[in-house]
Amino acid sequence: MVYIVSWDEFVDRSVQLFRADPESTRYTMKYRHCDGKLVLKVTDNKECLKFKTDQAQDAKKMEKLNNIFFTLMARGPDVDLSEVTGKEQIETQPVKKGRGRKQ
Amino acid sequence: MVLLQLDPFLNELTSMFEKSQEKGSVWVTLKRSSLKSKLQKRKLNAAGESIEYRCLIRATNGKKTISTSVGAKDHQRFQASYALILKAHMTALKKRERKDRKKSTEAEKKEDNSTSSKPKKL
Repeated sequence: MVYIVSWDEFVDRSVQLFRADPESTRYTMKYRHCDGKLVLKVTDNKECLKFKTDQAQDAKKMEKLNNIFFTLMARGPDVDLSEVTGKEQIETQPVKKGRGRKQ
Repeated sequence: MVLLQLDPFLNELTSMFEKSQEKGSVWVTLKRSSLKSKLQKRKLNAAGESIEYRCLIRATNGKKTISTSVGAKDHQRFQASYALILKAHMTALKKRERKDRKKSTEAEKKEDNSTSSKPKKL
């Protein structure tokens, strides 16, 4: 089992793994309240990435990752992710330029 | 394995978290699935139709397993409710003490500075 230390690396590699094989990649979360531990696992049945923590701040980061995975899985692996807004950018309209010029 | 609708699934998940507070774990797994057999997939691909994928969510406390599937339309609503449940129950995780200590020492320093910066004029 590969435990990854850096959160960002875990996220990047998990998304990569999913995009490479969306059919068999799954994301698992295990929470133990009595131990105060949270473990995340992403695997495509060939490679496995894990992340463990006992920090509350990582729970917040995990929520963002949950959003990413929900979007990827429900809409498809080709969705363009902008992690700030957390949703795909394909549907957003481009900013209108050059309309408000009064000279 | 019990397949539920979205809202009952969320309710069951909440009760699972509550029951496993003393001992035990809660596992939640997310996977993309079309919920169709290989034969159906082949037929759809041959006919040139696109397969509609859904996000399959499973939750278990080791003894009981519940599941639900979320489509593209419902996923945002589910996401919001799911995040709420997690936030409400993951209270056993440690909060960063170092930053709190730093903040409290900085606050003390600021208070000391403010009190000492007012010289008494007689």
